[in-house]
Amino acid sequence: MAEDALSKSGLHFDDLNKLRVLEPESAQQTGELKEECHEFVSKITEFQKIVGSFIDMTNELAGEVEKEKMKAIGYRNLLKSVAKQRDSQQQQLRALIAEKKTEMERLRLQHESLKKQEMEQAEFIEQFSTA
Amino acid sequence: MRLKYTIPKDAAHSDSVTCVAWASSDHVISASDDHTVMKWNLLSGENTIHCKLPQELFPTHLARLSVSNPGSKNVPASDLFAVTSTDGKFYFLSHAGRIEKSVQAHKGAVLSGKWNQDGTAFLTCGEDGQLKMWSRSGMLRSTIVQLPQCVYAIAWGPDSDQILYTQGKLLVIKPLQPSAKEVSWKAHDGVVLKADWNQVNRLIVSGGEDCKYKIWDHFGRPLYSSAPFDYPVTAVNWAPGGDLFAVGSFNSICLCDKSGWSHALEKPSCGSIFDISWSNDGMQLAAACADGNVILAHCVEKRLEWCEYEVTLVSRKTVEVKNVANDAHDTLEMKDRVIKISLDYNYLIVITSTQCHIYSTNNFNTPAIFDLREGAVSFVQQAEKHFLLADKAGLYVYSYEGKHVCSPKLPSTVQVGSLTTKTAVISTDVLAIRDSKDEKVVFLIDAHTGKPYGGGHPMTHKIEVVQIALSMCGATSERHLALIDKNHDLYLTPVKSIGSGFKLNKLSNMVHSVQWNTTVNMLCALQDSRMLVWFYPSALFADKDILHHTVYEKDSSDLGKYPELCGYRDNTITLRRTDGSLVSVAISPYPSILNQLVSNNRWTEALTLCRFTKEKSLWACLAAMSLKEKDLNVAEIAYAAVGEASKVEHLNQIKGIASKPVQSAEMALFCGNAYEAEAILLQNNLIFRAIQLNMDLFTWERALDLAVKHKTHIDTVLGFRQVYLRKTHKPETSNKFKQYSQGVDINWKSIMSKIELEMQ
Repeated sequence: MAEDALSKSGLHFDDLNKLRVLEPESAQQTGELKEECHEFVSKITEFQKIVGSFIDMTNELAGEVEKEKMKAIGYRNLLKSVAKQRDSQQQQLRALIAEKKTEMERLRLQHESLKKQEMEQAEFIEQFSTA
Repeated sequence: MRLKYTIPKDAAHSDSVTCVAWASSDHVISASDDHTVMKWNLLSGENTIHCKLPQELFPTHLARLSVSNPGSKNVPASDLFAVTSTDGKFYFLSHAGRIEKSVQAHKGAVLSGKWNQDGTAFLTCGEDGQLKMWSRSGMLRSTIVQLPQCVYAIAWGPDSDQILYTQGKLLVIKPLQPSAKEVSWKAHDGVVLKADWNQVNRLIVSGGEDCKYKIWDHFGRPLYSSAPFDYPVTAVNWAPGGDLFAVGSFNSICLCDKSGWSHALEKPSCGSIFDISWSNDGMQLAAACADGNVILAHCVEKRLEWCEYEVTLVSRKTVEVKNVANDAHDTLEMKDRVIKISLDYNYLIVITSTQCHIYSTNNFNTPAIFDLREGAVSFVQQAEKHFLLADKAGLYVYSYEGKHVCSPKLPSTVQVGSLTTKTAVISTDVLAIRDSKDEKVVFLIDAHTGKPYGGGHPMTHKIEVVQIALSMCGATSERHLALIDKNHDLYLTPVKSIGSGFKLNKLSNMVHSVQWNTTVNMLCALQDSRMLVWFYPSALFADKDILHHTVYEKDSSDLGKYPELCGYRDNTITLRRTDGSLVSVAISPYPSILNQLVSNNRWTEALTLCRFTKEKSLWACLAAMSLKEKDLNVAEIAYAAVGEASKVEHLNQIKGIASKPVQSAEMALFCGNAYEAEAILLQNNLIFRAIQLNMDLFTWERALDLAVKHKTHIDTVLGFRQVYLRKTHKPETSNKFKQYSQGVDINWKSIMSKIELEMQ
């Protein structure tokens, strides 16, 4: 009965007969809660750490991806310009070829005229050897 | 020929180079949009920053004015550069790189500025469409033209009395005399960007947005139009000698011959070429590139051929000689840069910037060398025993041993620097030079003494002379001067007759090029679409009637339009077509053999040769030659072979004349030389025959003059005159005859008896 009276005034005894303000059950639960909370906090901290490093890593990756992307675009452009460069090179070579062709034509004409002259001279010599 | 170029990469401008100019024969200065002027040394390959320009100065053109210091050879000429700029001003830049003066010239940019030949006037053109003339010190003289559009390029005419400017697609030639009319024509399909006018050959080259370059003569007639480049032509410039010009475009530079075809095309990756400048000797050029580089180039692989020798300028200082007959090679190394090479008459002449080397083709190891006086040789021409050099200061004749023969003194009207093979010729004894100012005048100079030839009077033709040529072989008596005038008529005259009452004999018309054979006195000329060869041009003075038989004609239409005669040696004529290809044409060897036989007086062999070939032209040549040498028997045979019966008759008659002077007078008459015939008769005191000759030629007054002068046969002349007038039903018009007929009565009996007496 005394216990009841005590509980009415908000006092309790626990198993070890110590005087408590809280009900021993609640006290126990509170203690457990506190433990769990601790645990929770530490876990969360750990999680945060992990997530942080994850974010870092992702960022790093993103940076690298970005870099590679830019590189790829650069290369793509370079490729395109190579084609253009080749075109202009081709154009230049074509101009040079045309130049050489005209020169060849000049030399061909000269050669032809010299061949004609040679033929005429051969004919002339022939004229003497038959006469 | 080819351009060998270098692009000094290490220290280029940081922005586009817009203009270049030569400071000396080994230094180039370039101005760029990065506001610096750089100096490039071609000998050491170094380049230095010459000076910094103000930030607002973007140069557009550099024009060098060389102020020569005659007399002091060691003191470098104090050159002045005029820099035109986009801020509407032009600046005078001293040799040391200091801006001496700035002149506000145009609204908007000044696009170009050029000095005239003697450096007394400076012409600028600008975006405001004005052309302005400035004095040497930068004072405005006049605004010449005001146009609604900007003027991109200007050029001075050959004698600085005309200017050329661009006006959109047009080119305009404006004479500076206010009364003269200007000539303008549509030059390009796009805007004309650059134009240049050469002082020596008087041709204009222009380049435009239509990617073509074109050549015009000084009347604006088109001579050549190139195939289009890939990009607009941004620079055209003549080499000072006028034999080459350079064309610049995007990533390309082209070396072209004066007739338009290209010697070589180079494709340096340097961006557009904004400006090209030639060195004074015409062997090097500098080009301003859009990417900040300056191209330094020189012409190599110039090739000459003579007989079996082939000479090539392989690099700046090396000449290679090849004998194609035995495949022998010689490499000649020079100390200095080679400026000119010439190969003819068994000698090779190599002219460097300081010396002249003379090699005999027999021995290329031991040249004769002498130092040049001035250095900048602009013209070389060889004859059999000596050769002619021309530099800025004058003309020199040297022997092949390297000895100075003479330095002909010429009137100051002859611009020695602009002589060409068409205006100056040297033969074994005579030197002929056309005046540069008065083109009707040809000076003849004794090549051994340097004194004027034949009494000192220059030869003056009716109209402007375009080309002169001297026969190269034989004695002085056989030296003939051929000349082509502005009307394209070809005239021939013996050199020895020039000075004293000479007359030019017309040989042909429509001729645009002429060349003497170097071994025999034969003459080749190009007519419209035919090639003519006179096997014996002196036939003109022996018998005009037979001249046309001595000409060999060949259709040259397969050679294209206006081919150029390059050489006539032995029996081969070398021509250059307008597309640049060399074509050789063989001529029958008989005429030259005949010429040689006759010159050695081997008439029987000459006759045998003619009989063997059975060619009319050969017989005609022989006829003319025998007339000249007064060999009547051969002449008779030759005329008979040509089929000139009347001439044979005439010769027969002449042969029958016993008296020698009468015979030679008749011969002169036969050659159509009445003046000479009369002189012979008078010299031998055959007065009546001289009078009769004049009566036969209906030169009555001369006959009467002679009769009066010698107081004989006055009645004869009067009598025959009366008969003549009666027959032609004409009244007496001559006062002289009216005067002398009074108091002379004509007794035909006494006249006839007198004549009979004379004829015995």
